[in-house]
Amino acid sequence: MSATEPTAAAGLDGRPRPALEPMPLASEPVVRISSLSKRYGEVVAVDDISFSLEAGTVTGYLGPNGAGKTTTLRLLLGLAEPTAGEALVFGRRYRELEQPFRRVGAVLESNDFHPNRTGRDHLRMLALAAGLTRGRVDEVLELVELRGAGKRHVRGYSLGMRQRLGLAAALLGDPELLILDEPANGLDPAGVRWLRVFLQSFAAQGRTVLVSSHLLAEVAQTVDRVLIIDRGRLLASGDLAELTRNRQSLEDVYLELTGGGSL
Amino acid sequence: MIGQLRSELLKQRSTRTTLLLFLAMFGLVAFAVAMHVLTLGVEDLSTRSRQLEVFQVGSRAGMLFAGLAGAIAITAEVRYGTIRPTFLVSPTRGPVLAAKLVVAGLVGLVFGLLAELLMTGSAVVGFAARGIDNQLTAGDYLQLLAGGAAAAALWAAAGVGIGALVRDQVGAVVGLSAWMFLVESVSDGFVPGFARFLPGGVGNVLAGNSDELSVALAALLLVLYAATAAAAGWRATLRRDVA
Repeated sequence: MSATEPTAAAGLDGRPRPALEPMPLASEPVVRISSLSKRYGEVVAVDDISFSLEAGTVTGYLGPNGAGKTTTLRLLLGLAEPTAGEALVFGRRYRELEQPFRRVGAVLESNDFHPNRTGRDHLRMLALAAGLTRGRVDEVLELVELRGAGKRHVRGYSLGMRQRLGLAAALLGDPELLILDEPANGLDPAGVRWLRVFLQSFAAQGRTVLVSSHLLAEVAQTVDRVLIIDRGRLLASGDLAELTRNRQSLEDVYLELTGGGSL
Repeated sequence: MIGQLRSELLKQRSTRTTLLLFLAMFGLVAFAVAMHVLTLGVEDLSTRSRQLEVFQVGSRAGMLFAGLAGAIAITAEVRYGTIRPTFLVSPTRGPVLAAKLVVAGLVGLVFGLLAELLMTGSAVVGFAARGIDNQLTAGDYLQLLAGGAAAAALWAAAGVGIGALVRDQVGAVVGLSAWMFLVESVSDGFVPGFARFLPGGVGNVLAGNSDELSVALAALLLVLYAATAAAAGWRATLRRDVA
Protein backbone atom coordinates (compact mmCIF):
# COMPACT_ATOMS: atom_id res chain seq x y z
CA MET A 1 0.00 0.00 0.00
CA SER A 2 2.76 2.41 0.92
CA ALA A 3 4.17 2.26 -2.59
CA THR A 4 0.97 3.74 -4.01
CA GLU A 5 0.84 6.71 -1.69
CA PRO A 6 3.28 9.10 -3.35
CA THR A 7 1.47 8.68 -6.68
CA ALA A 8 -1.89 9.33 -5.09
CA ALA A 9 -0.53 12.47 -3.43
CA ALA A 10 0.88 13.69 -6.75
CA GLY A 11 -2.56 13.22 -8.27
CA LEU A 12 -4.13 15.34 -5.57
CA ASP A 13 -1.97 18.40 -6.15
CA GLY A 14 -3.92 18.78 -9.37
CA ARG A 15 -1.03 19.53 -11.73
CA PRO A 16 0.47 16.30 -13.01
CA ARG A 17 2.76 16.78 -15.99
CA PRO A 18 0.76 16.21 -19.20
CA ALA A 19 3.10 13.44 -20.36
CA LEU A 20 2.46 11.61 -17.13
CA GLU A 21 -1.32 11.35 -17.06
CA PRO A 22 -1.61 8.90 -14.18
CA MET A 23 -2.57 5.42 -15.22
CA PRO A 24 -5.18 3.93 -12.92
CA LEU A 25 -3.52 2.40 -9.91
CA ALA A 26 -4.09 -1.22 -9.10
CA SER A 27 -5.90 -0.02 -5.99
CA GLU A 28 -8.05 2.44 -7.89
CA PRO A 29 -10.59 0.92 -10.27
CA VAL A 30 -11.24 2.50 -13.66
CA VAL A 31 -14.89 2.91 -12.75
CA ARG A 32 -16.19 3.01 -9.21
CA ILE A 33 -19.91 3.27 -8.59
CA SER A 34 -20.96 3.51 -4.95
CA SER A 35 -24.52 3.37 -3.65
CA LEU A 36 -25.69 5.14 -6.79
CA SER A 37 -29.38 6.06 -7.02
CA LYS A 38 -31.44 8.08 -9.43
CA ARG A 39 -35.06 8.90 -8.83
CA TYR A 40 -37.45 10.61 -11.26
CA GLY A 41 -40.42 11.61 -9.13
CA GLU A 42 -41.96 8.32 -7.99
CA VAL A 43 -39.85 6.19 -10.30
CA VAL A 44 -36.56 4.84 -8.99
CA ALA A 45 -34.54 4.28 -12.17
CA VAL A 46 -31.32 3.27 -10.39
CA ASP A 47 -31.57 1.91 -6.87
CA ASP A 48 -28.47 1.82 -4.67
CA ILE A 49 -26.10 0.25 -7.19
CA SER A 50 -22.42 -0.39 -6.45
CA PHE A 51 -19.78 -1.95 -8.68
CA SER A 52 -16.32 -1.28 -9.99
CA LEU A 53 -14.41 -2.09 -13.16
CA GLU A 54 -10.76 -3.08 -13.32
CA ALA A 55 -8.45 -2.11 -16.17
CA GLY A 56 -8.16 -4.57 -19.02
CA THR A 57 -11.62 -6.10 -18.62
CA VAL A 58 -14.66 -6.26 -20.87
CA THR A 59 -17.81 -6.06 -18.77
CA GLY A 60 -21.32 -6.74 -20.03
CA TYR A 61 -24.07 -4.69 -18.41
CA LEU A 62 -27.23 -6.71 -18.87
CA GLY A 63 -30.87 -6.20 -18.07
CA PRO A 64 -34.34 -5.92 -19.61
CA ASN A 65 -35.45 -2.71 -21.31
CA GLY A 66 -36.03 0.00 -18.72
CA ALA A 67 -33.92 -1.78 -16.09
CA GLY A 68 -31.74 1.30 -15.53
CA LYS A 69 -28.71 0.45 -17.70
CA THR A 70 -28.71 3.63 -19.76
CA THR A 71 -29.48 5.77 -16.71
CA THR A 72 -26.44 4.32 -14.92
CA LEU A 73 -24.25 5.18 -17.93
CA ARG A 74 -25.67 8.73 -18.13
CA LEU A 75 -24.93 9.24 -14.43
CA LEU A 76 -21.39 7.92 -14.92
CA LEU A 77 -20.82 10.32 -17.85
CA GLY A 78 -22.10 13.46 -16.14
CA LEU A 79 -25.14 13.81 -18.41
CA ALA A 80 -27.41 13.37 -15.38
CA GLU A 81 -26.94 14.06 -11.68
CA PRO A 82 -27.40 11.22 -9.20
CA THR A 83 -30.03 11.53 -6.48
CA ALA A 84 -27.62 9.77 -4.10
CA GLY A 85 -24.25 8.06 -4.20
CA GLU A 86 -21.47 8.67 -6.66
CA ALA A 87 -20.09 7.43 -9.94
CA LEU A 88 -16.38 7.93 -10.54
CA VAL A 89 -14.15 7.35 -13.56
CA PHE A 90 -10.40 7.25 -12.87
CA GLY A 91 -11.17 8.35 -9.33
CA ARG A 92 -13.04 11.51 -10.27
CA ARG A 93 -16.43 12.62 -11.43
CA TYR A 94 -16.47 12.66 -15.25
CA ARG A 95 -17.08 16.40 -15.23
CA GLU A 96 -13.92 16.93 -13.20
CA LEU A 97 -11.59 15.03 -15.54
CA GLU A 98 -9.19 17.37 -17.26
CA GLN A 99 -9.64 16.06 -20.78
CA PRO A 100 -12.49 13.57 -20.40
CA PHE A 101 -12.72 12.88 -24.13
CA ARG A 102 -9.11 11.63 -24.16
CA ARG A 103 -9.76 9.19 -21.33
CA VAL A 104 -13.32 8.01 -21.83
CA GLY A 105 -15.12 7.30 -25.10
CA ALA A 106 -18.85 6.65 -25.03
CA VAL A 107 -21.79 5.97 -27.32
CA LEU A 108 -25.19 6.25 -25.67
CA GLU A 109 -27.57 6.35 -28.63
CA SER A 110 -27.04 4.89 -32.06
CA ASN A 111 -28.37 7.90 -33.90
CA ASP A 112 -26.95 11.05 -32.32
CA PHE A 113 -26.19 12.73 -35.64
CA HIS A 114 -27.61 15.61 -37.63
CA PRO A 115 -29.02 13.86 -40.73
CA ASN A 116 -27.84 16.62 -43.07
CA ARG A 117 -24.25 16.68 -41.83
CA THR A 118 -21.56 14.43 -43.27
CA GLY A 119 -20.07 11.73 -41.08
CA ARG A 120 -16.68 13.38 -41.37
CA ASP A 121 -18.01 16.81 -40.31
CA HIS A 122 -19.68 15.18 -37.32
CA LEU A 123 -16.31 13.85 -36.22
CA ARG A 124 -14.53 17.10 -37.07
CA MET A 125 -16.85 19.24 -34.95
CA LEU A 126 -16.16 16.98 -31.96
CA ALA A 127 -12.43 16.86 -32.70
CA LEU A 128 -12.24 20.67 -32.84
CA ALA A 129 -14.00 21.04 -29.49
CA ALA A 130 -11.73 18.38 -27.96
CA GLY A 131 -8.55 19.90 -29.42
CA LEU A 132 -7.83 16.87 -31.62
CA THR A 133 -6.34 16.96 -35.09
CA ARG A 134 -7.99 16.45 -38.46
CA GLY A 135 -5.60 13.56 -39.01
CA ARG A 136 -7.15 11.77 -36.07
CA VAL A 137 -10.58 12.13 -37.72
CA ASP A 138 -9.28 10.28 -40.79
CA GLU A 139 -7.67 7.64 -38.60
CA VAL A 140 -10.88 6.73 -36.79
CA LEU A 141 -12.88 6.79 -40.03
CA GLU A 142 -10.36 4.31 -41.41
CA LEU A 143 -10.52 2.25 -38.23
CA VAL A 144 -14.30 1.74 -38.42
CA GLU A 145 -14.12 1.26 -42.20
CA LEU A 146 -16.17 4.33 -43.06
CA ARG A 147 -13.53 6.18 -44.98
CA GLY A 148 -15.43 6.04 -48.25
CA ALA A 149 -18.66 7.22 -46.63
CA GLY A 150 -17.16 10.11 -44.68
CA LYS A 151 -18.23 12.71 -47.20
CA ARG A 152 -21.82 11.50 -47.38
CA HIS A 153 -24.67 12.85 -45.26
CA VAL A 154 -25.54 10.65 -42.30
CA ARG A 155 -29.15 10.59 -43.60
CA GLY A 156 -27.99 8.00 -46.13
CA TYR A 157 -26.23 5.75 -43.60
CA SER A 158 -27.54 2.32 -42.61
CA LEU A 159 -28.02 1.57 -38.90
CA GLY A 160 -24.78 -0.42 -38.92
CA MET A 161 -22.91 2.54 -40.43
CA ARG A 162 -24.37 4.83 -37.78
CA GLN A 163 -23.21 2.43 -35.06
CA ARG A 164 -19.71 2.53 -36.51
CA LEU A 165 -19.74 6.33 -36.84
CA GLY A 166 -20.75 6.59 -33.19
CA LEU A 167 -17.92 4.26 -32.28
CA ALA A 168 -15.52 6.35 -34.36
CA ALA A 169 -16.57 9.43 -32.38
CA ALA A 170 -15.98 7.60 -29.10
CA LEU A 171 -12.51 6.53 -30.28
CA LEU A 172 -11.43 10.03 -31.41
CA GLY A 173 -9.65 10.78 -28.16
CA ASP A 174 -7.90 7.38 -28.07
CA PRO A 175 -9.57 6.65 -24.71
CA GLU A 176 -8.59 4.16 -22.00
CA LEU A 177 -12.23 3.39 -21.18
CA LEU A 178 -14.94 2.69 -23.73
CA ILE A 179 -18.62 2.77 -22.73
CA LEU A 180 -21.10 1.48 -25.29
CA ASP A 181 -24.88 1.24 -25.00
CA GLU A 182 -26.28 -1.54 -27.20
CA PRO A 183 -23.50 -1.30 -29.80
CA ALA A 184 -24.42 -4.46 -31.68
CA ASN A 185 -27.97 -3.42 -32.61
CA GLY A 186 -28.27 -3.19 -36.36
CA LEU A 187 -24.91 -4.75 -37.11
CA ASP A 188 -24.81 -7.64 -39.56
CA PRO A 189 -23.00 -10.85 -38.55
CA ALA A 190 -19.72 -9.60 -40.01
CA GLY A 191 -20.16 -6.34 -38.12
CA VAL A 192 -20.88 -8.16 -34.87
CA ARG A 193 -17.74 -10.25 -35.24
CA TRP A 194 -15.71 -7.16 -36.13
CA LEU A 195 -16.98 -5.41 -32.99
CA ARG A 196 -16.19 -8.44 -30.81
CA VAL A 197 -12.64 -8.71 -32.10
CA PHE A 198 -12.19 -4.99 -31.75
CA LEU A 199 -13.40 -4.87 -28.13
CA GLN A 200 -11.26 -7.86 -27.13
CA SER A 201 -8.12 -6.37 -28.66
CA PHE A 202 -8.97 -3.03 -27.05
CA ALA A 203 -9.06 -4.73 -23.64
CA ALA A 204 -5.94 -6.74 -24.43
CA GLN A 205 -4.07 -3.41 -24.55
CA GLY A 206 -4.94 -2.95 -20.90
CA ARG A 207 -7.92 -0.74 -21.66
CA THR A 208 -11.40 -1.20 -20.26
CA VAL A 209 -14.81 -1.75 -21.85
CA LEU A 210 -18.30 -1.46 -20.38
CA VAL A 211 -20.95 -2.58 -22.81
CA SER A 212 -24.68 -2.75 -22.19
CA SER A 213 -26.66 -5.23 -24.19
CA HIS A 214 -29.46 -7.71 -24.23
CA LEU A 215 -27.98 -9.81 -26.99
CA LEU A 216 -26.98 -12.50 -24.52
CA ALA A 217 -25.48 -14.97 -26.96
CA GLU A 218 -23.24 -12.26 -28.33
CA VAL A 219 -22.34 -10.99 -24.87
CA ALA A 220 -21.38 -14.49 -23.74
CA GLN A 221 -18.77 -14.59 -26.50
CA THR A 222 -17.34 -11.13 -25.89
CA VAL A 223 -17.20 -10.24 -22.22
CA ASP A 224 -15.25 -11.59 -19.26
CA ARG A 225 -17.36 -10.00 -16.55
CA VAL A 226 -21.10 -9.56 -16.20
CA LEU A 227 -23.39 -7.19 -14.31
CA ILE A 228 -27.11 -7.99 -14.29
CA ILE A 229 -29.59 -5.27 -13.40
CA ASP A 230 -33.37 -5.30 -13.18
CA ARG A 231 -35.77 -2.59 -11.98
CA GLY A 232 -32.87 -0.42 -10.94
CA ARG A 233 -31.23 -3.01 -8.68
CA LEU A 234 -28.02 -4.89 -9.34
CA LEU A 235 -28.84 -8.61 -9.12
CA ALA A 236 -25.51 -10.19 -9.94
CA SER A 237 -21.96 -9.27 -10.75
CA GLY A 238 -18.91 -11.38 -11.35
CA ASP A 239 -16.84 -13.34 -13.81
CA LEU A 240 -18.82 -14.81 -16.64
CA ALA A 241 -17.12 -18.17 -16.02
CA GLU A 242 -18.14 -18.08 -12.36
CA LEU A 243 -21.78 -17.15 -13.04
CA THR A 244 -22.18 -19.93 -15.55
CA ARG A 245 -20.09 -22.55 -13.77
CA ASN A 246 -23.00 -24.92 -13.00
CA ARG A 247 -23.19 -25.61 -16.74
CA GLN A 248 -25.92 -23.01 -16.94
CA SER A 249 -25.92 -20.74 -19.98
CA LEU A 250 -25.76 -16.99 -19.48
CA GLU A 251 -29.32 -16.93 -20.76
CA ASP A 252 -30.47 -19.31 -18.00
CA VAL A 253 -28.79 -17.25 -15.32
CA TYR A 254 -30.16 -14.01 -16.74
CA LEU A 255 -33.75 -15.22 -17.07
CA GLU A 256 -33.70 -16.80 -13.64
CA LEU A 257 -32.48 -13.58 -12.03
CA THR A 258 -34.72 -11.19 -13.93
CA GLY A 259 -37.80 -13.39 -13.57
CA GLY A 260 -38.17 -13.68 -17.34
CA GLY A 261 -38.00 -17.47 -17.21
CA SER A 262 -41.49 -17.79 -15.77
CA LEU A 263 -43.10 -15.95 -18.69
CA MET B 1 -12.16 28.13 -26.16
CA ILE B 2 -10.80 28.64 -29.70
CA GLY B 3 -11.55 24.98 -30.39
CA GLN B 4 -15.09 25.40 -29.06
CA LEU B 5 -15.65 28.40 -31.32
CA ARG B 6 -14.31 26.58 -34.37
CA SER B 7 -16.51 23.62 -33.50
CA GLU B 8 -19.61 25.83 -33.32
CA LEU B 9 -18.69 27.57 -36.58
CA LEU B 10 -18.35 24.18 -38.26
CA LYS B 11 -21.75 23.13 -36.89
CA GLN B 12 -23.23 26.23 -38.55
CA ARG B 13 -21.45 25.63 -41.84
CA SER B 14 -21.87 21.89 -42.13
CA THR B 15 -25.66 21.77 -42.50
CA ARG B 16 -27.89 23.80 -44.77
CA THR B 17 -29.99 25.14 -41.89
CA THR B 18 -28.41 28.60 -41.82
CA LEU B 19 -28.74 28.97 -45.60
CA LEU B 20 -32.40 27.90 -45.51
CA LEU B 21 -33.09 30.38 -42.72
CA PHE B 22 -31.48 33.10 -44.78
CA LEU B 23 -33.57 32.21 -47.83
CA ALA B 24 -36.74 32.26 -45.73
CA MET B 25 -35.78 35.69 -44.40
CA PHE B 26 -35.05 36.85 -47.94
CA GLY B 27 -38.49 35.70 -49.04
CA LEU B 28 -40.24 37.37 -46.13
CA VAL B 29 -38.44 40.67 -46.65
CA ALA B 30 -39.06 40.66 -50.40
CA PHE B 31 -42.75 39.94 -49.84
CA ALA B 32 -43.04 42.67 -47.21
CA VAL B 33 -41.28 45.23 -49.40
CA ALA B 34 -43.57 44.46 -52.28
CA MET B 35 -46.64 44.79 -50.07
CA HIS B 36 -45.60 48.06 -48.51
CA VAL B 37 -43.84 49.95 -51.25
CA LEU B 38 -46.15 48.93 -54.07
CA THR B 39 -49.54 49.09 -52.34
CA LEU B 40 -49.31 52.02 -49.93
CA GLY B 41 -50.54 55.34 -51.29
CA VAL B 42 -47.91 57.78 -52.51
CA GLU B 43 -49.07 60.42 -50.00
CA ASP B 44 -48.71 57.82 -47.22
CA LEU B 45 -45.00 57.48 -48.01
CA SER B 46 -44.18 61.12 -48.39
CA THR B 47 -42.61 61.85 -45.00
CA ARG B 48 -39.25 60.68 -43.66
CA SER B 49 -40.75 59.09 -40.55
CA ARG B 50 -43.31 57.13 -42.59
CA GLN B 51 -40.56 55.92 -44.90
CA LEU B 52 -38.48 54.78 -41.92
CA GLU B 53 -41.51 53.09 -40.43
CA VAL B 54 -41.99 51.08 -43.60
CA PHE B 55 -38.51 49.65 -43.04
CA GLN B 56 -39.69 48.27 -39.70
CA VAL B 57 -40.54 44.95 -41.21
CA GLY B 58 -36.98 44.53 -42.55
CA SER B 59 -35.51 45.13 -39.12
CA ARG B 60 -38.03 42.78 -37.57
CA ALA B 61 -37.30 40.03 -40.10
CA GLY B 62 -33.57 40.39 -39.39
CA MET B 63 -34.12 40.19 -35.62
CA LEU B 64 -36.54 37.25 -35.85
CA PHE B 65 -34.38 35.11 -38.13
CA ALA B 66 -31.30 35.90 -36.07
CA GLY B 67 -33.24 34.76 -33.00
CA LEU B 68 -34.30 31.60 -34.83
CA ALA B 69 -30.70 30.87 -35.85
CA GLY B 70 -29.66 31.25 -32.20
CA ALA B 71 -32.47 29.03 -30.93
CA ILE B 72 -31.84 26.36 -33.57
CA ALA B 73 -28.12 26.33 -32.70
CA ILE B 74 -29.09 24.57 -29.50
CA THR B 75 -32.49 23.00 -30.18
CA ALA B 76 -31.15 21.16 -33.26
CA GLU B 77 -28.54 19.52 -31.00
CA VAL B 78 -31.30 18.42 -28.63
CA ARG B 79 -33.52 17.27 -31.49
CA TYR B 80 -30.87 15.18 -33.24
CA GLY B 81 -29.08 14.07 -30.05
CA THR B 82 -25.71 15.62 -30.91
CA ILE B 83 -26.03 17.37 -27.55
CA ARG B 84 -24.86 14.10 -25.96
CA PRO B 85 -21.48 13.83 -27.73
CA THR B 86 -21.13 17.62 -27.45
CA PHE B 87 -21.50 17.47 -23.67
CA LEU B 88 -19.29 14.37 -23.44
CA VAL B 89 -16.48 16.44 -24.97
CA SER B 90 -17.28 19.47 -22.78
CA PRO B 91 -19.03 18.12 -19.68
CA THR B 92 -18.93 21.45 -17.84
CA ARG B 93 -21.27 22.74 -20.60
CA GLY B 94 -20.48 26.43 -20.00
CA PRO B 95 -17.87 26.69 -22.79
CA VAL B 96 -20.36 25.18 -25.25
CA LEU B 97 -22.94 27.84 -24.41
CA ALA B 98 -20.37 30.63 -24.50
CA ALA B 99 -19.24 29.54 -27.97
CA LYS B 100 -22.85 29.26 -29.14
CA LEU B 101 -23.59 32.79 -27.91
CA VAL B 102 -20.56 34.22 -29.75
CA VAL B 103 -21.19 32.35 -33.00
CA ALA B 104 -24.94 33.02 -32.94
CA GLY B 105 -24.17 36.69 -32.29
CA LEU B 106 -21.98 36.77 -35.41
CA VAL B 107 -24.59 34.97 -37.50
CA GLY B 108 -27.23 37.36 -36.14
CA LEU B 109 -25.10 40.37 -37.06
CA VAL B 110 -24.87 39.12 -40.65
CA PHE B 111 -28.60 38.33 -40.79
CA GLY B 112 -29.48 41.82 -39.51
CA LEU B 113 -27.13 43.49 -41.96
CA LEU B 114 -28.43 41.49 -44.92
CA ALA B 115 -32.08 42.06 -43.97
CA GLU B 116 -31.54 45.83 -43.80
CA LEU B 117 -29.54 45.91 -47.03
CA LEU B 118 -32.20 43.92 -48.82
CA MET B 119 -34.99 46.06 -47.38
CA THR B 120 -33.44 49.45 -48.04
CA GLY B 121 -32.13 48.39 -51.44
CA SER B 122 -35.45 47.18 -52.73
CA ALA B 123 -37.41 50.00 -51.12
CA VAL B 124 -35.17 52.58 -52.73
CA VAL B 125 -35.78 50.93 -56.11
CA GLY B 126 -39.51 50.81 -55.35
CA PHE B 127 -39.62 54.50 -54.36
CA ALA B 128 -37.80 55.49 -57.54
CA ALA B 129 -40.09 53.37 -59.70
CA ARG B 130 -43.17 55.05 -58.26
CA GLY B 131 -41.67 58.52 -58.32
CA ILE B 132 -41.71 58.83 -54.52
CA ASP B 133 -39.25 61.36 -53.17
CA ASN B 134 -36.71 59.49 -51.00
CA GLN B 135 -36.41 61.45 -47.77
CA LEU B 136 -33.86 59.26 -46.00
CA THR B 137 -30.50 60.74 -45.02
CA ALA B 138 -27.12 59.03 -44.99
CA GLY B 139 -27.42 58.97 -41.19
CA ASP B 140 -30.73 57.10 -41.49
CA TYR B 141 -29.15 54.42 -43.67
CA LEU B 142 -26.21 54.09 -41.30
CA GLN B 143 -28.51 53.63 -38.32
CA LEU B 144 -30.64 51.09 -40.17
CA LEU B 145 -27.57 49.01 -40.98
CA ALA B 146 -25.65 49.39 -37.71
CA GLY B 147 -28.67 49.43 -35.38
CA GLY B 148 -30.45 46.67 -37.30
CA ALA B 149 -27.35 44.47 -37.19
CA ALA B 150 -26.78 45.11 -33.48
CA ALA B 151 -30.44 44.41 -32.67
CA ALA B 152 -30.31 41.16 -34.64
CA ALA B 153 -27.10 40.07 -32.89
CA LEU B 154 -28.77 40.61 -29.51
CA TRP B 155 -31.86 38.73 -30.65
CA ALA B 156 -29.58 35.85 -31.68
CA ALA B 157 -28.07 35.74 -28.19
CA ALA B 158 -31.58 35.83 -26.71
CA GLY B 159 -32.51 33.02 -29.10
CA VAL B 160 -29.71 30.81 -27.74
CA GLY B 161 -31.05 31.43 -24.24
CA ILE B 162 -34.66 30.72 -25.20
CA GLY B 163 -33.61 27.60 -27.11
CA ALA B 164 -31.60 26.33 -24.14
CA LEU B 165 -34.57 26.96 -21.88
CA VAL B 166 -37.29 25.51 -24.12
CA ARG B 167 -35.15 22.77 -25.80
CA ASP B 168 -38.02 21.85 -28.10
CA GLN B 169 -37.23 23.14 -31.59
CA VAL B 170 -40.78 23.59 -32.86
CA GLY B 171 -41.79 25.29 -29.62
CA ALA B 172 -38.89 27.73 -29.76
CA VAL B 173 -39.40 28.58 -33.44
CA VAL B 174 -43.16 29.04 -33.15
CA GLY B 175 -42.78 30.97 -29.90
CA LEU B 176 -40.22 33.43 -31.25
CA SER B 177 -42.11 33.98 -34.52
CA ALA B 178 -45.43 34.51 -32.76
CA TRP B 179 -43.79 36.90 -30.33
CA MET B 180 -42.26 39.02 -33.07
CA PHE B 181 -45.21 39.30 -35.42
CA LEU B 182 -48.20 38.68 -33.15
CA VAL B 183 -47.74 39.15 -29.42
CA GLU B 184 -46.09 42.56 -29.57
CA SER B 185 -48.67 44.13 -31.88
CA VAL B 186 -51.58 42.54 -30.02
CA SER B 187 -50.21 43.80 -26.71
CA ASP B 188 -50.09 47.28 -28.23
CA GLY B 189 -53.80 47.00 -28.86
CA PHE B 190 -54.49 46.41 -25.18
CA VAL B 191 -51.95 48.85 -23.75
CA PRO B 192 -51.19 51.46 -26.43
CA GLY B 193 -47.53 52.43 -26.54
CA PHE B 194 -46.42 49.40 -24.56
CA ALA B 195 -44.95 47.48 -27.51
CA ARG B 196 -42.13 49.98 -27.91
CA PHE B 197 -40.65 48.64 -24.66
CA LEU B 198 -40.75 45.03 -25.86
CA PRO B 199 -37.78 43.24 -27.52
CA GLY B 200 -38.97 43.80 -31.10
CA GLY B 201 -40.08 47.36 -30.42
CA VAL B 202 -36.78 48.42 -28.87
CA GLY B 203 -34.99 46.77 -31.80
CA ASN B 204 -36.94 49.01 -34.14
CA VAL B 205 -35.89 52.05 -32.11
CA LEU B 206 -32.27 50.88 -32.28
CA ALA B 207 -32.48 50.59 -36.07
CA GLY B 208 -34.12 54.03 -36.32
CA ASN B 209 -37.50 52.78 -37.62
CA SER B 210 -39.18 54.48 -34.71
CA ASP B 211 -38.23 57.29 -32.36
CA GLU B 212 -40.67 56.46 -29.58
CA LEU B 213 -37.77 55.85 -27.20
CA SER B 214 -34.24 57.17 -26.97
CA VAL B 215 -31.69 54.95 -28.70
CA ALA B 216 -29.71 54.65 -25.46
CA LEU B 217 -32.72 53.38 -23.51
CA ALA B 218 -33.64 51.00 -26.34
CA ALA B 219 -30.09 49.60 -26.43
CA LEU B 220 -30.07 49.17 -22.66
CA LEU B 221 -33.43 47.36 -22.69
CA LEU B 222 -32.44 45.03 -25.52
CA VAL B 223 -29.14 44.16 -23.83
CA LEU B 224 -31.09 43.42 -20.65
CA TYR B 225 -33.58 41.19 -22.49
CA ALA B 226 -30.80 39.27 -24.24
CA ALA B 227 -28.74 38.92 -21.05
CA THR B 228 -31.77 37.70 -19.09
CA ALA B 229 -32.69 35.09 -21.68
CA ALA B 230 -29.06 33.95 -22.02
CA ALA B 231 -28.61 33.72 -18.24
CA ALA B 232 -31.83 31.74 -17.82
CA GLY B 233 -30.83 29.32 -20.58
CA TRP B 234 -27.32 29.02 -19.16
CA ARG B 235 -28.58 28.23 -15.69
CA ALA B 236 -31.05 25.64 -16.96
CA THR B 237 -28.43 23.96 -19.15
CA LEU B 238 -25.95 23.60 -16.31
CA ARG B 239 -28.54 22.24 -13.91
CA ARG B 240 -30.73 19.97 -15.97
CA ASP B 241 -30.10 16.35 -16.90
CA VAL B 242 -29.59 15.54 -20.56
CA ALA B 243 -32.01 12.88 -21.74
